[in-house]
Amino acid sequence: MPSISELKAELKRLNAEYAKIKDMPAEKRADFGKELNVKKQNIMQQIADAEAAAEDQEVFPLDITASRDINAETPVFLTADFGSKHPLMTELDRVIGIYQSMGFDIMESVQLDDEYHMFDSLNFAKGHPARDGYDTFRTEEGFIPPAHTSTMQNRVLKAHKYKLDEGGAIAVAVPGRTYRNEDVDATHEHTFYQCEGVYVSENCTLGNMLGILREFFEKYYGQKLNIKTQPGYFPFTEPSLEFLIEKPAALGGKGKGGDWLEMLGCGMIHPNVLKMAGIDPAKYRGFAWGGGIDRLVMLRYGLGDVRNFEAAKLDFLKEFTC
Amino acid sequence: MLISLNWIKKYVEIDIPNDELVRLIGARLVEVEEAIDETHKYDGIFAVKVVSAEKIPDTHLTLCMIDDGGKAKDVVRNEDNYVQVMCGAPNVHEGMMAAWIAPGAIVPATFRDDEPFEIGMRKMLKKYDSYGMLAGADELALGDDHSGIVELDPASAKPGDDFAKLFDLDDIILDIENKSLTHRPDTFGILGFAREVAGILGQQFHTEDWYLRSSVDFEVDKSVKLDIEIDEKLCPRYTAVVLSPKNNDSPKYLTLQDTLLARSGMRPIEPIVDLTNILMLLSGQPLHAFDYDKFVSVGKSDKPKIIVRAAKKGEKLTLLDDKEIEMNEDDIVITSNNIPVALAGAMGGANTAIDEKTERIILESATFSLYNLRKTQMAHGIFSEAITRFTKGQPAGQTLPVALRFAELAQNIGYQPLAVFDSQKATPKAEKVELELLQLNNLLGTDFTIKQACSILQNVEFSVESKGKKLIATVPFWRTDIHIPEDLIEEIGRLSGYDNIAPVLPLHATSDPNEMFALKTVLRNHLAARGANEALTYSFVHGDLLKKVGQNPDNSYKIINSISPDLQYIRQSIVPSLIDKSYANLRAGYDKFALFEMNQVYPRDAGLDEDGVPQGLYKLGFVLVSQDNNAGFYLAKKYAQSILDSLGIAHNIKPFAEAEDKTNAYYEPKRSANIWSASGELIGYIGEIKQRILCDFKLPTNTAAFELDLRTILKLQGANAKDFSFSQFPSVARDLTLTLPLDRQAGEVEAQIREALARFGLIYRIECTSIYQADQAKTKNVSYHLSFARTDKTLEKSEIQDIMNTLEKIK
Repeated sequence: MPSISELKAELKRLNAEYAKIKDMPAEKRADFGKELNVKKQNIMQQIADAEAAAEDQEVFPLDITASRDINAETPVFLTADFGSKHPLMTELDRVIGIYQSMGFDIMESVQLDDEYHMFDSLNFAKGHPARDGYDTFRTEEGFIPPAHTSTMQNRVLKAHKYKLDEGGAIAVAVPGRTYRNEDVDATHEHTFYQCEGVYVSENCTLGNMLGILREFFEKYYGQKLNIKTQPGYFPFTEPSLEFLIEKPAALGGKGKGGDWLEMLGCGMIHPNVLKMAGIDPAKYRGFAWGGGIDRLVMLRYGLGDVRNFEAAKLDFLKEFTC
Repeated sequence: MLISLNWIKKYVEIDIPNDELVRLIGARLVEVEEAIDETHKYDGIFAVKVVSAEKIPDTHLTLCMIDDGGKAKDVVRNEDNYVQVMCGAPNVHEGMMAAWIAPGAIVPATFRDDEPFEIGMRKMLKKYDSYGMLAGADELALGDDHSGIVELDPASAKPGDDFAKLFDLDDIILDIENKSLTHRPDTFGILGFAREVAGILGQQFHTEDWYLRSSVDFEVDKSVKLDIEIDEKLCPRYTAVVLSPKNNDSPKYLTLQDTLLARSGMRPIEPIVDLTNILMLLSGQPLHAFDYDKFVSVGKSDKPKIIVRAAKKGEKLTLLDDKEIEMNEDDIVITSNNIPVALAGAMGGANTAIDEKTERIILESATFSLYNLRKTQMAHGIFSEAITRFTKGQPAGQTLPVALRFAELAQNIGYQPLAVFDSQKATPKAEKVELELLQLNNLLGTDFTIKQACSILQNVEFSVESKGKKLIATVPFWRTDIHIPEDLIEEIGRLSGYDNIAPVLPLHATSDPNEMFALKTVLRNHLAARGANEALTYSFVHGDLLKKVGQNPDNSYKIINSISPDLQYIRQSIVPSLIDKSYANLRAGYDKFALFEMNQVYPRDAGLDEDGVPQGLYKLGFVLVSQDNNAGFYLAKKYAQSILDSLGIAHNIKPFAEAEDKTNAYYEPKRSANIWSASGELIGYIGEIKQRILCDFKLPTNTAAFELDLRTILKLQGANAKDFSFSQFPSVARDLTLTLPLDRQAGEVEAQIREALARFGLIYRIECTSIYQADQAKTKNVSYHLSFARTDKTLEKSEIQDIMNTLEKIK
């Protein structure tokens, strides 16, 4: 193998060759140039490889079984009060904790899914324009980074169906990371977190859904809350609603009314969704809901820019020291 | 979608305040993003008569005297009580009725601006006082026309009339978030929206008769020829009306229709187009007008025929906007004897466009497959008001009545209907849906009576019969969304108000713990308590990042529709993302920090799960960046081991091996290690990052990282509980320094010490306190602090001496 200095000399010689082009007959120039380029690329690659190899030679091996380097001091952890937890994760822990206290099992959402779970199993007709509203990313194979945690409903229902057979209810909360193919700005992120809730039993009602949701937000904000709904549309629930709470005191609500926060979408699970999970809709009924976690955190801390969440900037993260 | 409340009020009697109505619409139909109050938008604007108009020579200006009926205040009037105003519009003329923005009023076009423009008195050409402004459509926010001022019909407008009253402009405009109406094509028309409002208010709605017509009710000119051939799957119904040439040229006055178009976010353009648009806004049914004679000549046949079919791949058509498009098999094309004349649902072709020479007109009222139109919308990027409505699936039942309504109203603008052609293979039968009262009340948690349930549905024109505790609803043709009992339950719950349903908490069982979540919470607390910062980074990375860290892009799932190359691949591991984010933090002044993230990753070679979906791996990634000179490896290792120790996972640090899939290719093999469990499972990697990579990312040379597989940790957690045995007898503390060859591994030496202490039957603790190599020396001195004890008695001096002698022999 030639040495680095030999290779560099060769490169210099090749570079000098380029000067000949202008003296050549026009028809030969292109071929000559191409050939020269190939040679030059080749030499440059060899130089890079040789340099990398030389660098590797210089690397001093460590005793990986030791606790420290030779003549070095005992390594110490960073100062404890420098450490921090991500506010989205802290919030998710809180949310999960409340659902658990209300008897909900937890099942984390997947981050790469398929058309069946994202749409088909949720009663979206094939090719229906409603699918467009979700602005999904897609991989070459047609897999989908899910645009909502509802992508887990079919799995949740199947995995917990045994609870119905045992005479109980399915009660599961599904936190997870979700994605939408949109431009990022202060209030939009293509990557965000949601939490889904699924409840199925023999005799639950829409009134129960409102009861559970109000209970959750009352625990979450530690106060009694006024709630309201507005009609929504999701192919996988019937009826479909949006759920709102009156701005709680913790977020500056004055309790005078009129200031509403849209928290999540919800509804009674469509019979086709139950059917597709092997649950008899004539015997059982259920409800489901899903809402964003990012917004809860933004509201709690009065944050203005959602882009901070995924930027890994210490200036931001250290605001959340434990 | 913008909805004029005044327009709604033409169809429903509303006797509650506007804000209460808006609240009810929000709670029972659709989210109102904003209720735009335009009740004062046209204050201080009057109908005026131009009593004199005198051209100022060598300018484009006309000096006018206007009669405002004496309405305006703070203006100077002449002896006839007229006001002087200068006008730059070419169409101003004596005797016309115009709209005048009086001094002190706001120019409506600037009504929503931060600083609305208030008109006053202006001195023009240094000598003429000009009060207020004679307004054009653009200034009135009623159109784009800037060519002249609007002219009012003297038959209806008198000098001094409030402009707002003339055109019913004291309005509230509802900005509707129409995403939640995707399944409700009927609400994309004022008629359907008004029907809902009636239902919400508990009133019986009566659809106007014209919308319910099912046959042609005027004399048809049999000599007009047109055949229609449809592909039912693509176009369930196609109705066409042929109209005679225009027979009059009435002056163009501003009309109520013009203002309704403007209030709905559209613009008046030309009488025929305006009529198609106003009917679309009213009924939800988009219409299109072709030039009949051009249509016939394009088809090159004396037997003109509309053929609706799928486009052929590569078939070309020049649209109204003069852009040539290339169609594909998913597009539906309207043809004249097979020659394309329109991209169905989206836009007409240039070859059949109506223009000033147009005589006869074909009016199209049709319905198309929303699935195809959805693809057309995407493929050609056309997002018009029309296609937005078509993609909701407009019902076939309305094409004929809306076409007939067009024929009727076109007479007002000088056109006569000649013939109607309607093609529909079979009239769909009205759907009937049954609902048990019990199911209704069980699902909602309510106690409706059968009578209440029936009446709620009847208000919005379902025809309903009840049989005992069951109701049978016949679905009106415009409700394409009602098929199953749950759909009726939604109607009843929604129209009567979900807010009237009492929230009731069901009893709940206990929940099962989620161990992965619990583990992540523990690890988060553990690392944060040791000064590390939890971060989150995108699941998507740039292909360059993969290459820079030595990973193989082919092992990443590739996103095909990403908004940016930064998001083109799904990441294979977390550490590269953290490396990528480290420099910005260094630059921000942090010279020693540790970032960690726990998340799922999806390297392609992790394969698919039982559902055939990519298998996710749960990983903890950790990166330590420091400007000091210590080898980062040892601190990273201390962090990793502290985690495993705290979870009671016995493990071994073994030489580094690069993974076959290269997911860990960024570790420097000579300064990295694999972490194995005592039972032989690979838990993860620790190591310093290759110098070339650090150089690329401008990071200090001792930057180190580790990653742990969280599923493996979960499995091993607690498997090797700590040995908590201790002695009642005093333990002895001793320091031990061994002189060892440079290449002697600390791990082996420590193992030997442990073995020796165990052989003596001791309980012990070992702590390495220093590793020292003198300048140029061939050996190193390794010092330990030891403490040990016997469990059965106090150690004697001689025993201690024995132990130390044994230990000191280790080399």
